[in-house]
Amino acid sequence: MIVALLLVAGGIGAGMFGSLLGLGGGILIVPLLTFGFGLSIREAAGVSLVAVIVTSSAAASVYLQRHTANLRLGMSLELFTAIGALTGGLIAFTLSDRVLAGLFALLLLYTALTMFRRRDPSPAPVAASAPVDLATPPASTGAGAGAAAEASTGAHVAATQALSGSVVTAGSSLGPGRLSGLSSADTLAGLSGPGYRVRNLGRGIVGAFFAGIVSAVLGIGGGIIKVPVMHLVMGVPLRIATATSNLMIGVTATASAVIYVLRGGMDPLVVGPIAVGVFLGASAGSRIAPRVHVRYLRLLFVVVMIYTALQMVLRAAGQ
Amino acid sequence: MTGNETVQAGQGGGRHTAPTVPSRAEGAAALDLTVARLLSRGTMSAVALLAIGVVLLAAAGRSPLDTGFAPLDLARLPSDIVALRPEGFLWLGLIAVIFTPISRVLASLVGFWRAGDRRMVLISVAILSVVATSIVLSIVLK
Repeated sequence: MIVALLLVAGGIGAGMFGSLLGLGGGILIVPLLTFGFGLSIREAAGVSLVAVIVTSSAAASVYLQRHTANLRLGMSLELFTAIGALTGGLIAFTLSDRVLAGLFALLLLYTALTMFRRRDPSPAPVAASAPVDLATPPASTGAGAGAAAEASTGAHVAATQALSGSVVTAGSSLGPGRLSGLSSADTLAGLSGPGYRVRNLGRGIVGAFFAGIVSAVLGIGGGIIKVPVMHLVMGVPLRIATATSNLMIGVTATASAVIYVLRGGMDPLVVGPIAVGVFLGASAGSRIAPRVHVRYLRLLFVVVMIYTALQMVLRAAGQ
Repeated sequence: MTGNETVQAGQGGGRHTAPTVPSRAEGAAALDLTVARLLSRGTMSAVALLAIGVVLLAAAGRSPLDTGFAPLDLARLPSDIVALRPEGFLWLGLIAVIFTPISRVLASLVGFWRAGDRRMVLISVAILSVVATSIVLSIVLK
């Protein structure tokens, strides 16, 4: 019984800190389950995927109600994140725990670096990175759906800031190639929204596919890849990119979560407490976020992430 | 008066209003709201089922990490739920979590179909096909 409650408490902590810092739950849940409860990284990634689906579905409902998420663009790209997730889900079962630990260490270091380098948000990113006010559920439901969580915001904005300037340059050096066929005026116009026009759909698809693989292998939402790709490469406003990325997480994680479930890699006794805890924690985090100064919290978190990354490196080295 | 116009009789003396045929933007906004409701209700249902499972697990005094877990067995699910076994509610909640985004794609498919948006219908079908492929491959490779 105590372990079940500890799992719920751990989920609450991960959900709350994730919400306050604008992180998806996965990057917190996997180390928590690995170092705190002795699960393998693959088991932890499976559990994390479920928590990520819960939080992203709840947040996406709010974004859609506000018409912030671009459903047509999101579904067009999530076809490829889902294909990537299918591929990644199959790959995950071929990788050893040590390899997964090494990959997760890289992810942690990258996230820590981008959060450390994050500039004080200007007015536009603030709008994009501020946690969704989830206290108000979608008007017509009357359910408590608003009391949910946002699975991707600030860290993805930070990653976008860190990459700005370099990604656009790199993207432009790729050349149009075969992918330009996907960027017909009709197609792009159909995916664009009020005040912005989508470009470089082919490169966006490549980024989405890669994000799907990373999501499935490491149990994260993948917003840290999708948001910069959509914003910097495809020209989608940061606010829309963040919301649309959140919308895409559900189907992406589902494509790989079914692999974990059907191949016996998902323990429902662990999934339940963690998913419920993350839901409650992210809900609370989104409500207290406006009253919390996250600057020092973020710095503390960078230190914890670097420490966790080193632990992952040691695990990868077999120690 | 054309078929695309309506008259609000008794409100302003037969004043003509905007066309009743929804524009593409209005259709998209309506679909957004439909999908939002679906996601909201699906998430709440899934979390409620998982929460019941967690309460039953705690009440039984079982540790999630000490005992192994049985793989998903759909045939056993109803009896587990009737017997108030935690596994029944946890598996059902897990299925609800996974089915929520899938139902969002299904709802979008219907919405795009009604709007005559063939390209998005095809994309919706393709997404569902990828998920179906995941399921089939998982069973085949098990």
